[in-house]
Amino acid sequence: MRSRVFVALLAAVALGVVAATASAAGSRQAANRLTVWLQVDAQSGWPDVVANANQQFERDHPGWTVDVQYQNWGDHLQKLDAALAGGTAPDVVEMGNTEMTKYMAAGAFADLTGSKSKFANSGSWLKGLASSATYRGKLFGVPYYAGSRVVTYRTDLFKKAGITKLPTSLAELTADARKLLDRNKQRGFSPIYIAGTDWYVAMSFVYDYGGSIARTSGGKWYGNLDSKRSIAGLNAYKQFFLAVSRASKTTDEIHPNPYDVYAQGLAGAMLGPSWFSCCVGKYKNVTAQFVMPSHVKGQPMPGFLGGSDLAVPVGSSHQSAAVDWIADFTSTESEKALQAKGNIPNATNLLGASVNERAAARSWFVPTAKHWVDVENGNILRNMLAQILTGKLSVKQAASSASDNITRVLNQS
Amino acid sequence: MLGSRLTPDAAIAGARPGPRRSVLRARAARGATPYLLLFPVAAAIGGILGYPLVDLVRLSFQRYGLFELIRHSGSWVGTANYSSVLRDGVFWHTLLRTVVFTAANVGLTMVLGTLLALLLVRVSAWARVVLTAGLVLVWSMPVVVAVQVWYWMTNFQNGVVNYVLTSLGVGDFFQHDWYATTFSQLALVTTLIVWGALPFVAITVYAALAQVPHELVEAAQIDGAGPLRVFRDVTVPVLRPVLLILTSLSIIWDFGVFTQPYLLIGQSKITPGNYLMGIYLFEEGYFRGDYGRGAAIAILMLLIVAALSVVYVRRMARMGEEAT
Amino acid sequence: MSAAAGAVRARRRRKRLRRAGWNAIALAVFAAMVFPVYWMVATAFKSDDEIVGLTPTWLPEHPTLAHFRAAVEKPFFWTDVKNSLIVVSVTVAVSIVLAFLAAVALAKYRFTGRKLFVVLVIGIQMLPQTALIIPLYVVLARYHQVNALSGVVLTYMTFVLPFSVWTLRGFIIGIPKELEEAAMVDGSTRLGAFVKILLPLVAPGLVATSVFAFIQSWNEYIFARVLLNDQAKQTVTVWLSYFYGTSRHIDWGALMAGSTLTAIPVVIFFLLVQRRIAFGLTAGAVRG
Repeated sequence: MRSRVFVALLAAVALGVVAATASAAGSRQAANRLTVWLQVDAQSGWPDVVANANQQFERDHPGWTVDVQYQNWGDHLQKLDAALAGGTAPDVVEMGNTEMTKYMAAGAFADLTGSKSKFANSGSWLKGLASSATYRGKLFGVPYYAGSRVVTYRTDLFKKAGITKLPTSLAELTADARKLLDRNKQRGFSPIYIAGTDWYVAMSFVYDYGGSIARTSGGKWYGNLDSKRSIAGLNAYKQFFLAVSRASKTTDEIHPNPYDVYAQGLAGAMLGPSWFSCCVGKYKNVTAQFVMPSHVKGQPMPGFLGGSDLAVPVGSSHQSAAVDWIADFTSTESEKALQAKGNIPNATNLLGASVNERAAARSWFVPTAKHWVDVENGNILRNMLAQILTGKLSVKQAASSASDNITRVLNQS
Repeated sequence: MLGSRLTPDAAIAGARPGPRRSVLRARAARGATPYLLLFPVAAAIGGILGYPLVDLVRLSFQRYGLFELIRHSGSWVGTANYSSVLRDGVFWHTLLRTVVFTAANVGLTMVLGTLLALLLVRVSAWARVVLTAGLVLVWSMPVVVAVQVWYWMTNFQNGVVNYVLTSLGVGDFFQHDWYATTFSQLALVTTLIVWGALPFVAITVYAALAQVPHELVEAAQIDGAGPLRVFRDVTVPVLRPVLLILTSLSIIWDFGVFTQPYLLIGQSKITPGNYLMGIYLFEEGYFRGDYGRGAAIAILMLLIVAALSVVYVRRMARMGEEAT
Repeated sequence: MSAAAGAVRARRRRKRLRRAGWNAIALAVFAAMVFPVYWMVATAFKSDDEIVGLTPTWLPEHPTLAHFRAAVEKPFFWTDVKNSLIVVSVTVAVSIVLAFLAAVALAKYRFTGRKLFVVLVIGIQMLPQTALIIPLYVVLARYHQVNALSGVVLTYMTFVLPFSVWTLRGFIIGIPKELEEAAMVDGSTRLGAFVKILLPLVAPGLVATSVFAFIQSWNEYIFARVLLNDQAKQTVTVWLSYFYGTSRHIDWGALMAGSTLTAIPVVIFFLLVQRRIAFGLTAGAVRG
């Protein structure tokens, strides 16, 4: 009898503990509280810009507070999906520009077309960003910032190899790379480090030769990598890679990080975002950047315009306040501050003359198809590049197979 | 007092689970006590997971993508999700690959783990503390960190594994790409998983070995039983339930493993050619935003892993029957 | 007499040699197992140049505390450690108690529905966790358990309880009946006997299970990430993810330093309880 009481008591205590911790209830959507999801890049890179925007917003909306919650690139979409399902989505969310189309097509974001005039410089937004935030003619996001690709190089190695002026065409760059190779015989040294399956670089070649990844007509998408011009670009990429890079032919641009290879002294130059110059270790004083040249002399090779947009999820109950916050965060002053931190601002009239910004003069962007993310996630382009570089398939075969894949994936229902 | 009831033969015979019905046991309480004891666990699990489980089953019969998720309602499609998965050749190839992978992982984990536990028994106290502390250090590393360290040790540019192998003269591993072939990728994932799983198995088996009463062992030895007989008749019966549990748990965990292969191989190298079931679920379901299909795959995985571990689970359940 | 003594001495020497052999093997195994952990800790003390350097160095040439400082100064470190400690201790304490009770019921009593419950317990673990994220989130959101530590505790309990029950049941079944019956002679009730006698006998199993529960909960990432939004409420694994979640430069030194720091509480917990997994514990409990 006593044992049964003991057990019942124990069970009650156990449940009581659970209930007690449960009573520390979760936060409810406070009346005048704006929830903003930004990536952690903002927290480590430009926290003052965020703080200023918050202060401006709170000054214009007395009684409101802004709660900025930082997300990771790796799992922020999983979190967003759960939040959308559970009805707890934030009021403002930062999205990568290649991630936008899928969510716009699903109707996840509020229509901002009517508020476009509220955003600074909206008339001259960068094309690459603006197109990523537009779906079927309507605006669902606001360009935040962008980044393009440049060549970061070792001034000392270039000098020692007798390179006196910066290359202005692909042919000149290749010749310079050969000079670097002659002067640096270390095992594993790459005159220009490019990862084999770095499709951002490879596709730049495709667009430089006038090709494209896919084209749309009559509501359907058609993979375009097997067109003559695209194949010319792929061939040029293959030749260039084999001549200048000793990276693994099957691995991507974060395994390893190019700047780590550079910092080890195994690269004369590397092709990548401009912020690469942050992390070059002991070569900081002998590092500079130039714009990647096209195969046509005197112009830059089109670079992939990476970047982020800001959107307002449909479930938000503070949509107009959200629009105001975004306007504050992308104001001219804010964008200039972002520019000072090495980013590309969101409008052409704000562009300066840094290497990063000059490179953005010619840019390309991924097809704005609802299922583009599936092409990326399915590694179709990466596999094609690996096959081309290892020689497993000819350029034509690999390109045509990838093209068919892309057509299939983009036209899924 | 204990010694008088314990003759060596009785001890060895009694240590085997057998149908001994004692007077006390006959009066086994059919009363409320067992239900009261179970209630908190049942309430906790049922209360929290009950609705999600029902929801998951319901989802598997619906067309539920991102579009439907935002509107909180999907459309009924019957078994379309299931048949689409079962007709997918990739599903069957992945299943085969995962079964082989699981067998390799579980086999290595259980064998090496048990050997480690036996080693722990045989060494001096100081060595035991050192080795156990080492196992706990391994155990305490978060999986995501272990993956980073593992990747780093084997990375193309300056992986220390490459360096050591080249220095030892095993071959030229300078800038060897460990992630070039599927076999190599999965082999590395296996070493990572087994390494991470060994502490739990070793320490749990060691704890089970600690339950083997010294008296029984000594009594059997006095009676003239050699170490192998002692192991077989005294130690193994105590160990068997724990070994069965660890094996069944290992099968369940290794079959559905996701984090280690996904992070170590890297999303950019994940292709249908090196899918494991956990990754297949994530890629074909959630990554693509097809939650209905994801739910169907999850239910199928549940059924498959249940089938794979049924032998161990049934033996374990039956063992409980005999014990009372 | 002397011949026998000589034989005894020879036997003892052989025993000592054998033991020394086992000890040597144990040290080799230790070195092999711990190497990645050592690599992580060593990297935390290395300068950035050494970390990236082409030739790996075994010991940091100029050890630096800069990475540890960077890790501790990263926002919300101490807060998140506190949150993790709260979540994990509540989860483990409640789960082990509940699981032990349930394991006793499943192992020692006969009742209708027992087999079903056993199957359910193991069945729950067969469900892939990835599939549960969104349904669980939706349910928790309905009861305002999102962005709350209690929601995380409830979630973790559903992972920890099944394998704890399953494992403890195995430990209880493995106890030889003689030890149980001997204790029942003094006339205590069945349940009282179970608790008083079983507890010390199962203690090693309880410790092993609670260590595992501790580690599972301490290192869990994805549910904590999805459920907790405020950085002031997050656990330490989420804090750690900010080191590698950026699209920019990953600070490896700080990441390794942060990882080393997050591993410390686990080691402390284990050191506190490890003495209970000791040989001869059963002998002590039963004698007298």
